[in-house]
Amino acid sequence: MGKTILTAQNITKVFPGMKALDNVDFDLQAGEVHILVGENGAGKSTLAKVILGAYKQDEGDVFFEGERLTLSGTKDALAKGIVAVYQEFTLVPYLNVAQNIFLNREHKTKLGFIDHKKMEEEAKALLKSLNCEYINVKSPVKKLSVAEQQMVEIAKALSYRPRVIIFDEPTSALSDREAESLFSQILKLKKEGIGIVYVSHRMEEFPKIGDRITVLRDGKKIATIGINDCTNEELVNMMVGRDVSQVYVRTQNDHSGEALRTENLSDYSGKVKNASIVVNKGEIVGIAGLVGAGRTELAQLIYGINPIKSGKVYVNGNEVEVKSPVNAKKHGIGLVSEDRKKQGLALGESIALNTVSVSLKKIFPRFFMNKKKIYETAKQNVEQLRIATTSIHKPCKFLSGGNQQKVVLAKWLNFDPQILIFDEPTRGIDVGAKMEIYKLMDQLAAMGKAIIMISSELPEVIGMSDRIYVMHEGKIVDECKRGEFTTEQIGSKMLGIGVGGTKNE
Amino acid sequence: MNNIKEKLKALPPVSWMLLLIIAVFSLASPNYLSLSNFRNILIQATPLMIVAFAQTCIVLTQGTDLSLGAQVSFATVMIVYLAKKGVPLFAGMIVAVLLTVLIGSVNGIIVAKGHILPFIATYGMQNIVNSVSLLLTSGSSIYYASNVYRFAAESTFLFIPVMVWIAALVFVMVWVVLRKTKFGTNIVGLGGNREALSLAGISPARNLIKTYAFAGFIAGIAGVVTLCRVESGQPTVASGWEFQAVAATLLGGTSLREGKGGVTGTIFGVLLITIVKNGLNIVGVRSVYQNAIIGSIVLVAILIDAVIKIRSKE
Amino acid sequence: MSKFIEEIKRSKSFYSLIGLIGLIIISSIIAPNFRTINNMITILRQASVLLILSSGLTAVLLTGSMDLSVGATAGFIGCICAKLIKSGVPIPIAFIIGIITGAVVGFINGTLAGILPSFIATYATNWVMSGLAIIVMNGAVIYDLPKNFTKLGVGYIGPIPVLVIIAAVIVVILYILLQKTTYGRQVYAYGSNAEAAKYSGMPIKKIMKSTFMICSICAGIAGMIITARLNAADAAMGEAYGLQTVAAVVIGGTSMLGGEGGVGGTVIGALILTIIVNVMNLKGVSSFAQPMVVGIVIIAMVLFDINSKRKKQFD
Repeated sequence: MGKTILTAQNITKVFPGMKALDNVDFDLQAGEVHILVGENGAGKSTLAKVILGAYKQDEGDVFFEGERLTLSGTKDALAKGIVAVYQEFTLVPYLNVAQNIFLNREHKTKLGFIDHKKMEEEAKALLKSLNCEYINVKSPVKKLSVAEQQMVEIAKALSYRPRVIIFDEPTSALSDREAESLFSQILKLKKEGIGIVYVSHRMEEFPKIGDRITVLRDGKKIATIGINDCTNEELVNMMVGRDVSQVYVRTQNDHSGEALRTENLSDYSGKVKNASIVVNKGEIVGIAGLVGAGRTELAQLIYGINPIKSGKVYVNGNEVEVKSPVNAKKHGIGLVSEDRKKQGLALGESIALNTVSVSLKKIFPRFFMNKKKIYETAKQNVEQLRIATTSIHKPCKFLSGGNQQKVVLAKWLNFDPQILIFDEPTRGIDVGAKMEIYKLMDQLAAMGKAIIMISSELPEVIGMSDRIYVMHEGKIVDECKRGEFTTEQIGSKMLGIGVGGTKNE
Repeated sequence: MNNIKEKLKALPPVSWMLLLIIAVFSLASPNYLSLSNFRNILIQATPLMIVAFAQTCIVLTQGTDLSLGAQVSFATVMIVYLAKKGVPLFAGMIVAVLLTVLIGSVNGIIVAKGHILPFIATYGMQNIVNSVSLLLTSGSSIYYASNVYRFAAESTFLFIPVMVWIAALVFVMVWVVLRKTKFGTNIVGLGGNREALSLAGISPARNLIKTYAFAGFIAGIAGVVTLCRVESGQPTVASGWEFQAVAATLLGGTSLREGKGGVTGTIFGVLLITIVKNGLNIVGVRSVYQNAIIGSIVLVAILIDAVIKIRSKE
Repeated sequence: MSKFIEEIKRSKSFYSLIGLIGLIIISSIIAPNFRTINNMITILRQASVLLILSSGLTAVLLTGSMDLSVGATAGFIGCICAKLIKSGVPIPIAFIIGIITGAVVGFINGTLAGILPSFIATYATNWVMSGLAIIVMNGAVIYDLPKNFTKLGVGYIGPIPVLVIIAAVIVVILYILLQKTTYGRQVYAYGSNAEAAKYSGMPIKKIMKSTFMICSICAGIAGMIITARLNAADAAMGEAYGLQTVAAVVIGGTSMLGGEGGVGGTVIGALILTIIVNVMNLKGVSSFAQPMVVGIVIIAMVLFDINSKRKKQFD
């Protein structure tokens, strides 16, 4: 610790229409984990890409181990020892672990052919240094779990013998247990003197590995501080630029009237086992649990995406059949799904066209459709939800994560369901947009709707829910009311501790 | 023992269908299970087999090359055309193969730099190449007599016809390229995750062009072999082969999407198609019914393959 | 008016339109008899079958699927129709049977496309259909069909060929269906992102099957029209149309990936292909060289179209 290995000075990067980075300074010491934090669009990824040589800055310099860096691409950065572990995996599915690690650097035999044996041996050694020797280096990467793939990515990064590693949102696809194992790897790397840039906005992780934090906002550097030098609240204030002490605002509602009830729901894949929940009108019911606990699968059963093996669903007290989303919609059930890019939006289509995709039959009951009405509806949505765009015809792929999620919400608001399930509604979204979404959820509950909120972020679940169900390995293992729950209690139930003799067995 | 079991499991479902079909035909006709018939089958299969290896490389990159058949026909035409002008046959063959490499490269450039879908780019090229063949022959077949044809088509080495040896050599070449060279790894990468290649510093465009050129090279060889079988330059001899090659590739387990698969499976796909054609002839099914039956069997084979894959995922 | 121009600019067939206009201008210059009314009508007449086929195929491509069986289906249904009429079945009934057959074929294609990649499924059904056509005809050719039938192919209503009117009606129906109805919107949405369409509660299986049915019904109509025009039917008569139809749709700006394009563009694409052949015939270009020109134009058009769109994206 102590020696500065990387310095970025006065970095400015301009894209058509926006300044992504505005005179940003950043430095990295050997053996430190320097966290880079900020809302979506603050410039974190851009800064990382400048350091990696994927972008060329318009102004400013980057110095690496004293030398000024002129990178003409990521290959140069790799050669110098600056590598990245990305959010979206850069692995080729049907090449094996060894081939992926040594892509473009394959070992060759004397005859010029690839020496698979040598590559596999070295790959094994790399995985061993990460405590992952159980991963089969001959296995096509496609057959590995997400966490194992992440380990391969890290092994790949390490094979370049890096001095700097940039992690970009590495835990977004990992369960808590897998994230912990990642953290212990990172601590090991620290000890070897590698400088680590850690881009993330999961604040609960920071104390575990971080040494310093740099906050970016709107392309500018706001502050660089030690990890213990500020509270979470102050951090969020810096990120958002306003006082966010009132993040989770809930109004008191009348919770009379059962809207949705499930009795012993099970699915065919075994991910949901005898789940029984009740959601009343005007309530926000949170469902907490680890990744893989079966929460998304439960939502998919209720919304008709997957077939129900056994159990019943009741809406407003009447038993209903949900064979497909078409059915579910008829009963007033809606789902804001987990993956907004793959399931929530047609990214290539405009905002306007996306906003009506759920409610076509409602807006145009008579088969014929006119674009004018669609555009009017979309304009209203953009105003209502403050979607940041210059035109309703902009394809959704050009929107930030927060605005994309707003389009998904607009789409469901236009349908006006009575029961709406939110699956990880604020994942990958900046703090400002998060608050707007919480406010919206509260408003919907106040209107008498029944809201289910599935989330892995405990602060959010605890802050927003009137009641919480905890799921563990497909079963509902706990239920508690607002005011009765604590993080420790829920956290341990999520891990399955003290699960014997649960409600639904 | 376990290793053998694993290898058997890894065989594409079509290989089992193959055994079944062979069994059915052997029961239906006494002439079926003979050495000479199997030799016939191999010879009949050879030209399509070679083209299918080329197509497999393209499918691995998530594309399809619709100009392969045209390239094969063109090669036969070019060799005979040059021979009639006094160019020695072997020299003509080399020229023809160089030309198909060139055609392949142009395909690659259009796809890589033009950003058009391979389907459309190669369809355009198919038209262009066919035109050239038609113009060179004025629409009909052209002839040049030579003993070379018989040599390739009929003489044997260790009981196996020379042609079939050529197909085997092409198989080995493509297999080695795919498994044991950087180029082959890049081909799989093109189909599996192009971004990963760029990030690792590999140029997707350059490798795409190389892949199409490679396919053109193989198509040229297929043209030489075809010439030896039909003993003439025919502008439409191989029309439709590119599609049969895709079917054979998919039957062999290679996927259109992710860079999964390889040439080993393709062998089974081509054998299935050829064995059905051959079997129908031997058993004496009227030619009027053959198309419909072959098409149906290919359809059923692909369906079975797909259903098995879906089941194994669940 | 300006809104109309804006919508056209936004449409995915803008560049194809430019291509068409360019082609017409060039053709007028190099072929003096291009711009006669007679020739225009000839062009429309020659384009009719392709228009019918490609409009139907547009629906399938919009969902991101492919149908390689249109040619053989057209041939098969044309042959069935001819056989029925020849053996005394009243023309309207033969016609209806043809349409029902088309619907059945499309339903099968649509169902298979749910299990297999549509590319390979329809390639296989194309093989089967061409085989069935051969079986139905038993290797023979049918000719000398009743005048009431052939006038569909060669007759005129005033100065306009009946053929062209039929094609125009089908094109208009499909345009309205795909652009102005909730069904059409669902087709586009499905093509843009099938999973999102499922999560939005759209009946995705029905959408798939129906688009294939539309395509095969159009193929059937086209087949019957071909027979009426030729006053003959043979098993292979639809073969040449298979890939040409795909080319017409793609040149018109409809993306093979789904979600982009439409019947308007397809009309442009079909006209482009027809005009090229027409001009080459006017100039006496050998029929051996014609595919080359067609191939070059296809590549050039798609290059122009896709790269102009890419440039626009980065603005």
